[in-house]
Amino acid sequence: MGSIKRISKELTELTESPPEGITVELADESNVYEWKVIMEGPESSPYYNGKFLVKLSLPTEYPFKPPTVSFATKIYHPNVTNDEKGSMCLGMLRADEWKPSSKIAAVLQFARQLLSEPMPDDAVEGRIAEQYKNDRGRYEEVAREWTRKHAC
Amino acid sequence: MNLQDFLAMEESRERDELIDLRSLDLVSEYDSHLMCPICHCPFVEPVRLQCDHVFCGSCLSSAINSFRSADSDEFPCPSCRNPTQKVSASVPRLLINMCDEIRVLCPLITEGCQEIIPRGHVQSHVEKYCGYRLLPCPDNSCDQMTRSKDVGMDQKCIHKVRRCAHCKENVLEHEYEEHEKELCPVLEVTCADCETVVTRGALQEHIESCPEVAIPCAASKYACPVKIRRADIAAHEQSCPIVAMGPYFETQNARLKSLESSMRHLQQRNEIFEDGLANIRSTLFESTRLGANSHSGGQPPQSDREQQSSARVDAHTDDPADLAAGVFSSNATTYLLSLHESLREEVSQLSHAITDLDARASMAIMNECMRIKEDIAHTNAAVNSVRMQVQWLMNPRLHQGTRGGAVRPSSTESEGTRTNMASSVAGPSHATGQSLGPLRPRRPSDSGREGTKL
Repeated sequence: MGSIKRISKELTELTESPPEGITVELADESNVYEWKVIMEGPESSPYYNGKFLVKLSLPTEYPFKPPTVSFATKIYHPNVTNDEKGSMCLGMLRADEWKPSSKIAAVLQFARQLLSEPMPDDAVEGRIAEQYKNDRGRYEEVAREWTRKHAC
Repeated sequence: MNLQDFLAMEESRERDELIDLRSLDLVSEYDSHLMCPICHCPFVEPVRLQCDHVFCGSCLSSAINSFRSADSDEFPCPSCRNPTQKVSASVPRLLINMCDEIRVLCPLITEGCQEIIPRGHVQSHVEKYCGYRLLPCPDNSCDQMTRSKDVGMDQKCIHKVRRCAHCKENVLEHEYEEHEKELCPVLEVTCADCETVVTRGALQEHIESCPEVAIPCAASKYACPVKIRRADIAAHEQSCPIVAMGPYFETQNARLKSLESSMRHLQQRNEIFEDGLANIRSTLFESTRLGANSHSGGQPPQSDREQQSSARVDAHTDDPADLAAGVFSSNATTYLLSLHESLREEVSQLSHAITDLDARASMAIMNECMRIKEDIAHTNAAVNSVRMQVQWLMNPRLHQGTRGGAVRPSSTESEGTRTNMASSVAGPSHATGQSLGPLRPRRPSDSGREGTKL
C-alpha cells in the first residue's frame, strides 16, 4: 500500500504545481492507478494548439514497475503507434531502464519533449520516422493536419 | 552486509511499531535531500548502498525483491542502476537526526490530540505521553475503550451507567457526582428570597411568581425609584402618582416621537430647498456679471437695476417681518463670496501653473537654441573648410585663366557648368577690368562663395 501513498503524493504535487502544458486528473476518483492527462502541443512543434488526451496507467507495483503512457487522441508521430492503443515508446519507461526514483512529472515532461523532438531512431512507426528524416516539410504538414482534425 | 543478510534482517525486524511514520502529517517543510526516492517520504530507518545512495530500509528491500534476477547477489541501485552487492546500515548520524527533527502532528489527532512533535519522538509520545491514546477499559468486563487521560488513579470503568435516583435519567458513572450535585433537575433548592424549597427544574418559574422577590415599580421607566417585594407592589402601584400619570406620559411620548420624525423630515426638505435656491442665485449672479462684462455699453441700466435690487434687499432687511429673507440673502452673499474666493484661488493656481510652464518652455527653448547654435557653428566651420577647398581647387584654373585671358571666351564651352558660370561671370569682369591686376584673383572666389550660398 506504499504505492498509493506515493502516487497520491505525486498527484497532489502535479495538480498543485503542474508543469507547463500539462494538466493531470484521475480518470476515476476512486482509482489512483489510472490518470487522465491533457497535454498541450509544444509551441515549436506541428502539434501546437492541439490538446492531446494521454492515459497514464500505473502498475500496482509502482514505483518498482514503470507506468505506461498512451495517446487516446490520434497523433501523427514516429514514436506513437498509429492504432487505437496509441502507445508511446519512451526509453525511460522500458522495464530494464526504469528507476524507482523517476517521477511521473519527469515522465510526462519527457513525453511532451518528445512531441517537439521526435526520436526517429527509436520509432515505432517506421514510415513516419522515414518521412521525418527525409521529408520534414511533408511530415510537419501531415502532423499539423492531424492535430487540427483530431486534437482541436 | 550482503543482500541476503539485508533481506533477512529486514524481514526479521520487529514490526511492533504502532505508527506508520510515512503516513504522518508533516508540519514543517523538509529538505528534498531527506526524501527517499522510492516512497517520497523522509527516510525511515535509512540504509546506504555502495554508490552512496540512501533509501529507507523497507523501501530498499522491496526494491531488491522486485529488481533482483533470481538469486543473483547483485541488483541495480534504484537511483543510478549501478550493480550493487552490499548494503550498509551505517548512515551518517546527521541524516538520521535531520529526519527525526521533522515536525509532525500527533497521529491521534483524530481523537483530539493537537500536539506537534519531532518525528523521532512520535513513538514515545503516543506510547507514553499522549492523553488521547485509546486504552481498553480498566474493568475487564467492559469492552469499551478509554482515552488514557480519562483513566483515573482508581482504575475504575467510566462507562458504567448509573440511573439517577431523583430524575430517573441515565448518567455515566464518572459524571454522576456532578449531575447529582448540580445538574439534576429534580434536585431541591431553596429560593433565596422566600426560602421556599422547590426543585431545580421549577426554580425559574418560581422566581417569576415568588411574592418575596423584589421587583421594580411599573412606572420605573418614568423615574419611580421604588423597588419592593412582589406582594407589596400592587399596593404601591395603587398609590404611586407616577403610575397614575403613566398613560398620559405614554401618549406624550408617542406625540413627541412623531413630531420629531416629521421635523427631521421637514429639515431635510428645507436643506434641499436652500441648496437649490443658492444654486439659482449663484447662476443668476454669474449671468448678470457676465452680461455686465460683455455689454459694457449697457452697464448703466444694469447697475441701476442692481442698485434697485440692493435697495430692495435693504428695505427687506429693515422690515422685521421679512427678516428671514434678509438672513437668507446674507447667506447667499457669503456663499457668493466664498465662490468668488475659491475662483480667485483657482485663478492664482492657474497663473502659477502658467508661469511654471512658461519657465519650463523658455528653458526648453534655450536648450534647443544652444544646440542649434552649436549646429550652426559646426555647419559654418564645414562651409568654411569647403570654401577653402574650393578656393584651393580653383587656384590653378584661375592662374590658367589669368595667363590665357585672351583665349578664354573660346575655351569656356569645354568647362564644367558651375565653374563655367563662375568663370563666365568672372570673364567679362576681368575682360573689362584687365587693368585692375591685384583685384582679379578675388573675384572668382567671391562668385564661388555665391555658389555655395545658393
